[in-house]
Amino acid sequence: MEIAAIFLPLAGAFIAGFFGRLIGDRGAQIVTCAGVLIAAVLSVILFIKVGFGGPEAARTVELFTWIDSGTFEVSWSLRIDTLTAVMLVVVNVVSSMVHVYSVGYMSHDPHRARFMAYLSLFTFMMLMLVTADNLLQMFFGWEGVGVASYLLINFWYEKKSANDASMKAFLVNRVGDFGFALGIMAIYMIFGTVEFDGIFAQAASKADATFNFLGWEVHALTCACLLLFIGAMGKSAQLGLHTWLPDAMEGPTPVSALIHAATMVTAGVFMLARMSPVFEYAPTALEVVTYLGAATAFVAATIGLTQFDIKRVIAYSTMSQLGYMFFAIGVGAYPAAIFHLMTHAFFKALLFLGAGSVIHAMSDEQDMRNMGGIWKLIPGTYTMMWIGNLALAGIPFFAGFYSKDMILEVAYAKHSAAGSFAFWMGIAAAFMTAFYSWRLLIMTFHGKPRASEKVMAHVHESPAVMLVPLVVLSIGALFAGFVAYPWFVGHDMNAFWAGSIVMLTGEHGSIIEAAHHVPGWVPYAPLVAGVSGIVLAYVFYMFSPGLPGAFVNTFKALHAFVFRKYMFDELYDALFVRPAMKLGFGLWKGVDIGVIDGLGPDGAAAVTRRLSLASSRVQSGYVYHYAFVMVIGVVALTGWFILAR
Amino acid sequence: MATLPDLAPALPEIFLACASMALLMIGVFRGDGSLRLVSWLTVASFIVTGFLLLQGPEGRAVTFNGLFVADSFGTFAKLLILIASSLAVILSVNYLEKERVARFEYPVLIALATLGMLAMVSANDLISLYVGLELQSLALYVIASFKRDVAKSTEAGLKYFVLGALSSGLLLYGASLVYGFAGTTSFDKLATVLAGAEGAPSVGVVIGMVFVAAGLAFKISAVPFHMWTPDVYEGAPTSVTAFFAVAPKVAAITLFIRVLVGPFGDLAVQWQQVIQFCAAASMIIGALGAIQQKNIKRLMAYSSIGHIGYALVGLSAGSVEGVRGVLIYMAIYLAMNVGVFAIILSMRQSGRAVEEIADLGGLSKTHPMLAFAMAVFMWSLAGVPPAAGFWGKWAVFLPAIQAGLYPLAIVGVIASGISCFYYLRVIKAMYFDDVTEPLDRPTPTAGFVVAGAALFVFPVYIFFLSPITSGAAAAAAALFGAR
Amino acid sequence: MSDPMSNPLLVQYLPILVFLAIATVVAGAMIAASLVVGKQKPDAEKLSAYECGFEAFEDARSKFDVRFYLVSILFIIFDLEVAFLFPWAIALGDIGMFGFWSMMVFLGILTIGFIYEWKKGALEWE
Repeated sequence: MEIAAIFLPLAGAFIAGFFGRLIGDRGAQIVTCAGVLIAAVLSVILFIKVGFGGPEAARTVELFTWIDSGTFEVSWSLRIDTLTAVMLVVVNVVSSMVHVYSVGYMSHDPHRARFMAYLSLFTFMMLMLVTADNLLQMFFGWEGVGVASYLLINFWYEKKSANDASMKAFLVNRVGDFGFALGIMAIYMIFGTVEFDGIFAQAASKADATFNFLGWEVHALTCACLLLFIGAMGKSAQLGLHTWLPDAMEGPTPVSALIHAATMVTAGVFMLARMSPVFEYAPTALEVVTYLGAATAFVAATIGLTQFDIKRVIAYSTMSQLGYMFFAIGVGAYPAAIFHLMTHAFFKALLFLGAGSVIHAMSDEQDMRNMGGIWKLIPGTYTMMWIGNLALAGIPFFAGFYSKDMILEVAYAKHSAAGSFAFWMGIAAAFMTAFYSWRLLIMTFHGKPRASEKVMAHVHESPAVMLVPLVVLSIGALFAGFVAYPWFVGHDMNAFWAGSIVMLTGEHGSIIEAAHHVPGWVPYAPLVAGVSGIVLAYVFYMFSPGLPGAFVNTFKALHAFVFRKYMFDELYDALFVRPAMKLGFGLWKGVDIGVIDGLGPDGAAAVTRRLSLASSRVQSGYVYHYAFVMVIGVVALTGWFILAR
Repeated sequence: MATLPDLAPALPEIFLACASMALLMIGVFRGDGSLRLVSWLTVASFIVTGFLLLQGPEGRAVTFNGLFVADSFGTFAKLLILIASSLAVILSVNYLEKERVARFEYPVLIALATLGMLAMVSANDLISLYVGLELQSLALYVIASFKRDVAKSTEAGLKYFVLGALSSGLLLYGASLVYGFAGTTSFDKLATVLAGAEGAPSVGVVIGMVFVAAGLAFKISAVPFHMWTPDVYEGAPTSVTAFFAVAPKVAAITLFIRVLVGPFGDLAVQWQQVIQFCAAASMIIGALGAIQQKNIKRLMAYSSIGHIGYALVGLSAGSVEGVRGVLIYMAIYLAMNVGVFAIILSMRQSGRAVEEIADLGGLSKTHPMLAFAMAVFMWSLAGVPPAAGFWGKWAVFLPAIQAGLYPLAIVGVIASGISCFYYLRVIKAMYFDDVTEPLDRPTPTAGFVVAGAALFVFPVYIFFLSPITSGAAAAAAALFGAR
Repeated sequence: MSDPMSNPLLVQYLPILVFLAIATVVAGAMIAASLVVGKQKPDAEKLSAYECGFEAFEDARSKFDVRFYLVSILFIIFDLEVAFLFPWAIALGDIGMFGFWSMMVFLGILTIGFIYEWKKGALEWE
């Protein structure tokens, strides 16, 4: 069953990818959707078995040995514990909904089979990542999702912006992946193994180990964890390595929903949670994670305030929510992070697919300034977007409320500088999140129509094949938090996780337990922030539409700075891209063409040609020249013999 | 009173001598229309000779007062020579008829040349060496200018004759020096004398040996005695070139090995360096010279210079394995060259023979099988695995490396790299260029030879690796064992 | 430097030295005598160099008959054959049957060649 849950998407991808022409688009869609849907059902069953079966239910399915070289042995095996089971459900359910949705969304695209194949391939890779039993296998999945993401961002490969975006995503991720690879090597150096069981068993005993690096004594686990975190930053778009995520919106919207909201970008969170037994012994690394996560949550939210592209707003919101998850991990509340990951997957996928539905309705228009006044025309989508935004803003009884509150509570309960910073940043971000969510809602659906009449005449509700996935996801966005709360972070927590996540307990028990004892105002703070954000959005965009312009004019410089995404792209361009291009150009013109080609292939070829010309010139055709050469040869050889004697 | 010598070891040669004279008589009495008959009878007598060869006495047999030796080293080479000569005759018939030079002397001359080669290979004395060599050479001079009313052909014959005479002179001069300083011309006695000498060998013997080696190097066209090769290959009738490229090369290099390893085996330290030089120079000149060529016969001339260089690499190792490698190399070289020349002989556009590489343009479209066979030969000549040419190179380079001749091996690899260029150029012409004028259909005989050679080069050779290797090993061991 | 006469190898060549000396003297005497005794009446024909019936230096494109060369080459071959017979005849007693049969084979090959050239018509002038 485990194998089926993981390899069905691969089979789907294989069939759709290689036999897409044979079975046609319809066939490819049926095969891939069926594969993923079955996998989704199987993973729900697995989740129930593992999550509620006690500690013995976790299992490892050994497939075969991958590398066996000396003392280094790595096998392919599927590690299914509660953490994995949660991820399985999230990945497979969201993925299956996206697959179904894509059937409708991509119905006009000529390359449907290829798209479905990529989607299934991605799903498989993501499953490999979450079921990995060792770091190397995880790295395989990690790179695999990177490739699939690259392929999907660049799905419309005739668009230059898509090419650029896909390359950017790949390159920025390379930085992170390099960190991850170094992290794996560091882990191997410390523990002598890359198998999780081996690493976790030794984690406590290696807590004080050090590296000697260029004369520095470095705390080994901190170093390894920071490197792993760099990997997570790349994949999960944390501040510094986040620039690819907004650009990745060039891909088709279902891709954004699946990869850049629900699954792949959360791989970093998952990885840190998976490595929780190690991170727990690297408090410094955790502090870094906290600060960076909180900063990401805040910065992304501010950028989200200013954007006009509907998908980019959601993308920044995703980045912001990922920041929440990271600082939850930073303060040691891994279950809270995974809880938020799960709820976020549902409501963010919902938002993206909803946005996709809007874009679909608006004839591929993405700029919110050209929308408005369509809520009556597409009521289904409108409702879904409301649900998604309510969940995102953390309005009570919606999924986001439980998880986000939990995160903010643990941040507060940490009682450290980092925790407090994260808490206040989180509150601010919550306020902004609510604001830009309703800004999005209002600009998109309300007010006067700003689109051309032709487009408006064409606005239509999406077909059922697109709406049904939205409904399914909205059920998740409505109830996931409420239902899952007791198991993920509530009183059934320890039985549920069954050791798949390790939290060191202080004097007051674990951090989650501490979070249940925060002052009374703390749980209400995010709610207040959220509601005031919504109210402000109504004021700005519904009741007094002149205000935003006035506001922007007052804080022109600040707005420009934020609107241009804190100049990250410009900074990187000046700092890395241009010098690298210059260096590359120099190396190309100077070293490669000048030196290597000159002395190497070109030079050798030229020398060969010259020599061959010379040698054929000797071949004059005159017998006496030939005889002369022969005699000279004899004389030379004789001389050599006598000298060599 | 001198007793009658034992004729048994020389029986194949005696038979071939009688047969060639009989063929001459048959031809002259039947008149000019007898080319076909004489040709096929020549091939038949080659086959009988080969049969007699295989039936010959076991081990090493010396006869004619030590002038003649029959051993398995010679047998191996003689079989190669007979195969090459037979194929050359078979391929020639149609060509000669189409070129209107269908005279029955042609196969007879080839038979006489072959007889000379067999005598060379079995020579056990400087005198018998010379007699065999001259019998071969004189016949070759004549057939080089066989198209006697074509200027190029007569020019080729004349050049070959003049330079061949020079080389014969060098050889004879060297032989006289050796005789003067060692007091004998017999290989066996020379070996004993030189082995018995104390200290450094005398200058006279060394110089004599150099001259003999130079004379022989001319016959295998090793640099710097290669200059005649491109001109003669280009000028001579193509069927003659096909013969030149294979049989005399095998004979001369076998003789070369026999002389250097046998009587002069104790001067190995001296000649090894020179052979290394010749090998390196041949490989380089063979590679460089061919690049400029547009005529495929000239190309094959340079190619053969290069291949002799590779063969000499094996010899320069001076070991049993090295000699074995040379023999293997020559066997493979034979197959590749016969195949290529069979294709070149088939290159006709509306009945007219053409020999430019450009004329092969688009061969893959007009004659796909022919083009494929040619491609196989070219890959093999370039030494690309898994074609037989690769294994030949392997067999000569391995002993060289074992003997520590790394610079030579490196030169060989570079030369191989360069030579790939012009071999691939032929393939490029066949597969990527446009058809200028389609070639005529090759004759069935040529087709059979091409197909057979191509199949031998790849993949049959891989299965026959062991008989050929073990035969060559036995031959090489026999040569070294006799010392 | 030692006395050359003490080297037995060189002593063996003494008759040849004597022969050379006599030959030089005789030849020299003949030329001198013809200069001294003979009548000297030079004309253009007499002063021209004689080489195989041709002027040594003249236009290379003049016509000549190939058959002339053919005959002379054939003559040389059979001339040498006869020359080869003399030493053989003298040494026949020492070389025995092997020597005898060797010459027979040699003559046989030569005869074959002779038949060939006869049949080819090389000996016919017209």
